[in-house]
Amino acid sequence: MSLFDRLLGIDRRWIFLFVVLAVTIPILAPLGLPVTTTGSTRAAFDYIESLAPGDIVWLSFDYGPSSAPENDPMAEGFLRHCFLKNVRVVVCALYPLGGLGLANASVARVAAEFPEKKYGTDYVNLGYKDGAEAVMRRLGENIEDAFPTDVNGQPISNMPIFQPKHQTIPSGDAGMGGNVAGIRTIGQFKLVFTVATGLIGEYWITLVNAQFGTPVIIGPTAVSAPKYYAFIGSGQLKGMLGGMKGAAEYEQLIARKYPQMAKFYRSTRLFTGTKGMDAQTGIHAVIILFIFLGNVAFLLGRRRQGRT
Amino acid sequence: MTGLHFDTGRVLLLVCFGIVPLVGIALGLLAPSLRRQMPLIVAFVAGIVPILSLYIPKRFLSAAGEGMSPRLDQYLIIVAGFALPLGIVNVIQINARKVGRTEKGWVFSLVLLIGLLVMGAFGIYGAVSGAGIGFLPDGSSTPFQWMTDWLFRPLQATIFSLLAFFMASAAFRAFRARNVEATILLVAAVLVMAGRVPLFDLLAYPFPPLQPAAASLSQMMGRVTEWIMDGPNSAAQAGIIIGAALGAAAMAIRVILGIERSYLGLGKGD
Repeated sequence: MSLFDRLLGIDRRWIFLFVVLAVTIPILAPLGLPVTTTGSTRAAFDYIESLAPGDIVWLSFDYGPSSAPENDPMAEGFLRHCFLKNVRVVVCALYPLGGLGLANASVARVAAEFPEKKYGTDYVNLGYKDGAEAVMRRLGENIEDAFPTDVNGQPISNMPIFQPKHQTIPSGDAGMGGNVAGIRTIGQFKLVFTVATGLIGEYWITLVNAQFGTPVIIGPTAVSAPKYYAFIGSGQLKGMLGGMKGAAEYEQLIARKYPQMAKFYRSTRLFTGTKGMDAQTGIHAVIILFIFLGNVAFLLGRRRQGRT
Repeated sequence: MTGLHFDTGRVLLLVCFGIVPLVGIALGLLAPSLRRQMPLIVAFVAGIVPILSLYIPKRFLSAAGEGMSPRLDQYLIIVAGFALPLGIVNVIQINARKVGRTEKGWVFSLVLLIGLLVMGAFGIYGAVSGAGIGFLPDGSSTPFQWMTDWLFRPLQATIFSLLAFFMASAAFRAFRARNVEATILLVAAVLVMAGRVPLFDLLAYPFPPLQPAAASLSQMMGRVTEWIMDGPNSAAQAGIIIGAALGAAAMAIRVILGIERSYLGLGKGD
């Protein structure tokens, strides 16, 4: 049996061993490989950067724990970016398999980094609601119909966050349900940022952007990202953070713009997209190597068969 | 007149989603051959109202909070909510039967049922006690959040992580340049995989003098990848999305008009 035959029949456990090494070594000993930014991430960053203090945006956790290493850094980076810019953030979760738990954890984590931000005034967590498409339709008519209370069961009608920009609430006056003209529909939001692993991200584009006109930025997993390039081309998406690479690029852009975040991302022990890129580079290298070896062995074997 | 329009929408919905299903049930009991007619009427109204509301600006059809279409959206949330208990009942039925008969793999079914019941119990406890299912005021986790963080998250992440091993193995065995089409796919895949990460920076990591050249190469590969994604990929994806949307629209029309009836779940005799 020739070397190439043996290569073609290699026990897959050897491949698994290479995968383990390619992932674990960069995690245990980070290399700090450079990350270049792409157009879709820069477009997303620039759009968020163009928001004014006091603007209100919507962040939807539309992913589960299975893709959290890719998606968590996007959602948390977006929260940090908004808090740095004094943009108000309304958070919800529409993904049934663990979206709420991730939203709770990420919001708590980032809010702890910004103790000056007040719950109900600067940000609010509305929790999970089943039936993503139906919820989005209701958000276009009245947010309070879809989410009468926040995740803690507090009515959202009196929350200052839903007041128009720079408007203070007269004492005793109701918010959304009262006389003050508040933020009532998703159409009044400056942006929807959906961190998505499945179809829900697409619903934000085809329902909320198309029907209510709210600009949308998406943070999909790497396997879903190719689909969304078409939406960027058509102008239905303002930008995209594609997979862990997109998350790492976004972190780099935030760090460049805000020196305190550069320090944070250098020093934090939290898992970040930038740290994950080392492991991802390792695994890509292993896969490319095995594809190359497999094809060399295959082509040489075919040539030999032709001769005989 | 405004009140009249408002009532018109409400009455029509009441007739369609209250009286018609009741008549359908009665007909189903008294005359089984007629039992398919009523669901078809309900499906027709539920499908046609949102479409009409987009084109006919009448208050009874599309007024926010009052019209038929916004009311249907509210019903949709309730119907979607029913899907969850339906799924739970189905999971319990199938797995409880498996455990009861000690069929092959019954232990896994038992673990699934315990997980479902414990997680569900903590969720219901959080709702009933008012503590919620996130974090307590002192920053500590509720039992539901604790289980999410320390059981559900690691388990899901572990299962998904296995993909990395299978993808590497499958890429080695299946990604072969067998013909022209496969070769184009192979080259595009390798270019995208190489361009999405700083591959050359990794290869040059042990050799500092080569790092500037490697950085330039990585950037060039990144631009090639972006071109592939923005150009050929975007064009193909747009075609697929438009095709799927047209297919969905055609299927929706078939359901609304009662041509497609498989969703009724009727047997051949029906």
